[in-house]
Amino acid sequence: MDQSNPVDLSRQRTTLPPTASGMAKVLAAVGLAALAAGFGLGRAQGDDWRYFLHAYLVEFAFFLSISLGALFFVALHHVSRAGWSVAVRRLAEVFLGNLALLAVLFLPILLAMALGNHSLYRWTDPRQVAASELLRHKAGWLSVWFFALRAVLYFVAWTLLARFFFRRSLQQDRSGEPRLTIQMERASGPALLIFAGTVTFAAFDWLMSLEPTWSSTIFGVYYFSGAAVGFLAALILAALLVQAGGRLTDTITTEHYHDLGKLLFGFVVWWGYIAFSQYMLIWYGNIPEETAYYLKRQSGPWAAVSLVLLFGHLLIPFVGMLSREVKRRRLLLGFWAAWLLAFHWLDIYWLVMPNLDAQGLPLGPIDLCLLVGFGGLYLAGVLAVAGRSPLVPLKDPRLGESLAFENA
Amino acid sequence: MSEHGSNLPTPTTPSETVVGLVAQFDGPESLLAAARRVREAGYRQWDTHSPFPVHGMDRAMGIHPTVLPWLVLGAGMAGALVALVFQWWANGFDYPIVASGKPLWALPANIPVTFELIVLLSALTAFGGVLVLNRLPQFWHPALTASRFVRATTDGFFISVEAADPKFDLVLTNYFLQSLGAQSVETCRYPAAGREVPPGIYWALVVVVLLCLLPPLWIARTRLVVSGTPRVRAFTDMALQPKYQEQQASPLFADGRAMRPQVPGTIALGQREADSRFYRGQEPDGKWTAAFPIAVNAQTMERGRERFGIYCAACHGLVGEGDGMVHQRAVTRGEPGWVPPLSLHVDTVVDQPNGQMFNTITHGIRKMPGYGVQIPPADRWAIVLYVRALQRSQYAELGDVPPEDRGKVQ
Repeated sequence: MDQSNPVDLSRQRTTLPPTASGMAKVLAAVGLAALAAGFGLGRAQGDDWRYFLHAYLVEFAFFLSISLGALFFVALHHVSRAGWSVAVRRLAEVFLGNLALLAVLFLPILLAMALGNHSLYRWTDPRQVAASELLRHKAGWLSVWFFALRAVLYFVAWTLLARFFFRRSLQQDRSGEPRLTIQMERASGPALLIFAGTVTFAAFDWLMSLEPTWSSTIFGVYYFSGAAVGFLAALILAALLVQAGGRLTDTITTEHYHDLGKLLFGFVVWWGYIAFSQYMLIWYGNIPEETAYYLKRQSGPWAAVSLVLLFGHLLIPFVGMLSREVKRRRLLLGFWAAWLLAFHWLDIYWLVMPNLDAQGLPLGPIDLCLLVGFGGLYLAGVLAVAGRSPLVPLKDPRLGESLAFENA
Repeated sequence: MSEHGSNLPTPTTPSETVVGLVAQFDGPESLLAAARRVREAGYRQWDTHSPFPVHGMDRAMGIHPTVLPWLVLGAGMAGALVALVFQWWANGFDYPIVASGKPLWALPANIPVTFELIVLLSALTAFGGVLVLNRLPQFWHPALTASRFVRATTDGFFISVEAADPKFDLVLTNYFLQSLGAQSVETCRYPAAGREVPPGIYWALVVVVLLCLLPPLWIARTRLVVSGTPRVRAFTDMALQPKYQEQQASPLFADGRAMRPQVPGTIALGQREADSRFYRGQEPDGKWTAAFPIAVNAQTMERGRERFGIYCAACHGLVGEGDGMVHQRAVTRGEPGWVPPLSLHVDTVVDQPNGQMFNTITHGIRKMPGYGVQIPPADRWAIVLYVRALQRSQYAELGDVPPEDRGKVQ
């Protein structure tokens, strides 16, 4: 295709305003304060940190999924040699920096384990392990030191991959060398393999082992499918916010939103496909070891949450986002992105919280504090990275193609 | 120089007609720009040809949004409806059968078929819709006569204008296309005569259609005509099995028979059951026995109570009123075709001779299966004994109560 850019980038504002770094500091301060408040409330709960740790895990898994989705999106862009997505790739890349932040935010969970707290993962309790044949059998994998070692491994892999892609992308902003694109394309295939393996086992370790006698081999894919939905929703919202602030006004076009909407729609369907694949085999097999997981989520108040998820995370957005027009109208697409981001949070809540309380829906000031805390720190991280770099890969060899992109 | 390099139309020989013009462009951008101009000039019978889809071409050519998405949506919804209704009809209504203890019409089990049928009908409609809406397959197009046009599938970008277009003018259109930046403009010619389909093709078609009629005719004949010869099987399935049946010959054994005589020193099932009363509940003359061919005492009674609880009470109920758990569950679930187990206290059962009841336990009756395989004969008799006690308990008289307990009854 023609390399000449139909959009004059020199007339586009491609950086955040200088106030962004100040805003990042405020958000970080608010986030830390909220986390501290959540910590205090969790301590006052007097339940050996049970509530606090579960609520903490929900927010951790939620925000982690967005950054993991970003890593997937960037690697997918390179492995498929995509042209259209160059204009939004930098916005995805700024989410990558937070993987290091999330590694730090995982420390409290490890710390609680190291200090002998058994509130979150019951397989850490030697008495429970001794009492259960199945847990004894799994003790080789589910041991605290091995768990910690794996967590380190996952985060090292993710941060290294994120650095690899982001640094080369920034380097290209200055040099414009096509060689860097080729390097990233070559690395993207192995990167996706590493990503698939680490995300699968991270989901097993951090979420599935909450119910250590239950297992589902598709669980990692389930977490990943939700992560893709959460990230694409976040990316659409980020693009809308950046444009509302007068940045990249002509760089990201209706055509890009249309494609992001298509991807989001596709991953919503895929999430449903994976969720149903897991459910149907367990429903049909009807083996008590497996059905226990769904029985918990099909009785009491959790039955209602499961139904709300089925409709809110799949059926309603499926019908709502089916039309081409919806994906091409920013306001409508933004609405569905916000909707799905909220339901992705509910999905994570539904994965974790029945383990805390099978009879009620635990939701209170601790959850709010931790949501604000994680959200503040996460947004601060995004803004800090975005404030330092252009919001679009300025000299990507395919930028012209992306700017001129049209859907059919 | 031939027309390949020339940009001017060469005169037409009388035996040929001009069918259109083909202009070649150097890339997708110039093709896109030229297409916009051709549309603005008001041409109608024209098209663009490129090795890959060019984004934005629809708008440049003024092609209206297609109705295909609506067709696909309709097909998808039809697929969902057909799949759900059919599965309900087949599994839950027409031939209800319990699979793995699930409800007769279980939605989760129907989702995969529904999903696949949605995808299948949507995909077929999309595929067929593209063909029909684009009027494909198209066997002939004026552009195909242009010598350069083969490159449309590799690296050539073309605009073709048909001579049938009302605005078409061999000279003016040619200059117009050149003014759009065409690398070359080629005139498409086609012999004026000899364009009819050779008659042999029609005859061949008729023969093919007639040949296609033969298999269904043959099948219809075999369906209608009674035949004395063994049927021809395209697929034997399991109708023909490599095994011997009774009275067949076998070269394997010295006596040439596939059936083997009884091995000395063995007995077959039933061979030793000479005691007709004990094993079959019949007197030697074939009538049902009224006697008990086992010892009647508290021990056999207790044995009978236990066996009854294990084998019979599930359907007949602990008191024998025909209200066991299996029956209750079948009634609650509205199982179709459920035959309620008989109460053991109705006259027809009470009046049965012992031997007949024994025979019913052995071989079953109506929907009740036979228990001869599971329960040894002595235990079956013990059950008959216990049923007699049950029956008597329902019509008990004061004389049946032990003397020391009679005070409690009154």
